[in-house]
Amino acid sequence: MSKFWLLVKQLYKQKVKAKSFIFTIVIYIVAISGVMFWSDIKEAFFQDEALQIALINETDAELEALFESTSDIEFTFSNEEMTELEKQVTDGDYAAAIFVRDQENSLTAEIATFEPLTFNDQLSISSILQYAGKLYEVQQLNLTSEQAEKILQSETVISMKNLNEQSVNGKSEDEKAAGINASFLVGFLIYSFVMTFLSMITTDVASEKGSRVLEVLLASVKPATHFTAKLTGTFLLALTQITTLLLILGLLFMFIDGGSKWDRVIVIVNELSFSYIGYAVAFLLLTIILYLILGALLGSLVSKVEESSQAMMPAMILGMIGFYVLISGMASPDTMLIKVFSYIPFTSGMVMPLRIGATDISSSEPILSMLILIGTVILMFLLSLSFYKRSVLTYSSGGIIQKIKTVLKVTT
Amino acid sequence: MTLFIDQVTKRYQDFVAVDNLSFTIEKGEIFGLIGQNGAGKTTTFRMILDLQETTEGDITWNGTHINSINRDILGYLPEERGIFPSMTVEDQLYFFGELRGQQKKNLRKEVDYWIDRFELEDKRKAKAETLSKGNQQKVQLIASFIHKPEFLILDEPFSGLDPVNMDLLKNAILELRENGTTILFSSHQMDNVEELCDHLCLLKRGVSLFTGSLLDLKKQYGKTKLTIRTEIPKEVLERLEGVKEIHVGKDQYTLTLINESYAQPIFDFVSNGKYIEKFSLDYLSLEEIFKDKVGGTHV
Repeated sequence: MSKFWLLVKQLYKQKVKAKSFIFTIVIYIVAISGVMFWSDIKEAFFQDEALQIALINETDAELEALFESTSDIEFTFSNEEMTELEKQVTDGDYAAAIFVRDQENSLTAEIATFEPLTFNDQLSISSILQYAGKLYEVQQLNLTSEQAEKILQSETVISMKNLNEQSVNGKSEDEKAAGINASFLVGFLIYSFVMTFLSMITTDVASEKGSRVLEVLLASVKPATHFTAKLTGTFLLALTQITTLLLILGLLFMFIDGGSKWDRVIVIVNELSFSYIGYAVAFLLLTIILYLILGALLGSLVSKVEESSQAMMPAMILGMIGFYVLISGMASPDTMLIKVFSYIPFTSGMVMPLRIGATDISSSEPILSMLILIGTVILMFLLSLSFYKRSVLTYSSGGIIQKIKTVLKVTT
Repeated sequence: MTLFIDQVTKRYQDFVAVDNLSFTIEKGEIFGLIGQNGAGKTTTFRMILDLQETTEGDITWNGTHINSINRDILGYLPEERGIFPSMTVEDQLYFFGELRGQQKKNLRKEVDYWIDRFELEDKRKAKAETLSKGNQQKVQLIASFIHKPEFLILDEPFSGLDPVNMDLLKNAILELRENGTTILFSSHQMDNVEELCDHLCLLKRGVSLFTGSLLDLKKQYGKTKLTIRTEIPKEVLERLEGVKEIHVGKDQYTLTLINESYAQPIFDFVSNGKYIEKFSLDYLSLEEIFKDKVGGTHV
């Protein structure tokens, strides 16, 4: 076995058996399954009783049809006196009492509570009331309720036609929504993998340097071999983690609940284009490589392993910026901020998939961003390699800048 | 000639770590590099190992430039100990052996032999981080020569070892030499250097103060250390001709003479033709020479 593969094997074997590596996979699975199966979990563990709402209809219209009870909210039309009902609310028989009145052909509602309603309940009730209000006004126009319903349910069918033939066909809202969801997942995966493996490689190089085992290793292998072995080993670990994760989650989704979650995944995947998935995977892998290079370089600067968290901070911040920009773009993916950050190599992996999935961009933009990323990876690799040779055996104190200065001072 | 260091200088921006250093190590020889902290020993080792480049000068091994030799012929024990904390003793030795180009199956005999020799049998499957400092050092030492290197560099191999382990190490070094390994080592413990080295180089702030055989170094100073046990008071002894310095020990005096020729008259005076319990004329110890050469008291 060549020295390179010997180093890769040593790193891989050591890390893959580590409790923290296995634990991370378990955490991911628990977290992702938790989100996916939330509704089932909620049903199983938190069987909330429906919110009891009493309603006094002081208008002449029939309003029962407008306030349909659901599993979350149960409406009870009451004929009791207002004060009596308020007493029942105070006693806790009802969560709230709503008094619906007519005011110049418009509906007004007063909600009386004793315990404040939660924000979500408030939102639900208010949207039901809004809808009822509209319906009520339509009813005042002496339409049948079917006619009224039709007006309220009417929706304009919109299709996109892009006159610029150079540009890709416009995406439908559904496609864009799927794009946003998938991009958040891709961005989140990139962010969390980058953080995990950045910290792994930085700490690993730092601990080898700190324990001086590096000096022994470098007496028999070239720094370039050591550097690339570290990158390869950690990258293989990342691939192992991603594959294991996808495999386990895939099996979970397929076999639990008759595969209903799997169907949902398939629906989302079908909404995404083939090129989107290709780009997302390429951006994921390239961004991980880029951060690994940076992590190994930063790890080589420190003198002892305790300093590694301080050393990796700049890279962590870069990753965080990318992730926050992505979050800001979830609501509106077309802003200038998103455009700019979709070209910056350290953030493009998180931001560009969002633009590809959720906006109408020409095919040249992702290619350009990808080329910039590939160029940066190559450049960073070469720069880091030349710097790594000099920094791995230089021990100095102070901050990162001070360390870089020391390396330059003692090796030039 | 095996290792040849030819007028090597290592210069940094603001100081010179090694200045015009030259020495030769013959095959199968034990060579000591001694000097205070910061004398340039580790820098010299790193240049030999091609971990650092020389600013000027050449280092060759059997006539081949050091940066183009097969690195598997080298073994290295750095001054600050470093092993993989979570790897077992046995795995560690196999790993370093394989890294130096050995097949795992060929290493088994060596690994077993040295584990037994250094009394680590019960620690074979233990993780390195659970071992005592001394045992960690033994593991690292074995790791440095498990691949039977032609040339072994040991940077402060004795520091932190108890006397029993120190003897184990000394015997191991001698055994390696018998098997043809050329050894270069540095140490603060001069008695070890004296015991093991054939030749040495004395470094002070990057400059060689002496390079050559230990005996030659001692001859430079001559036999000037005189130890006597006598009833004669110190005041009388220190007034004798040729006595440079006198040190009062527990039950004896140690005199430093200007040169060897004064010993005979002193013997005649002290013994006065009678039996004398102790009169011993010897070379200075390496430690004394070292202190004298580097001009410091800390070794």
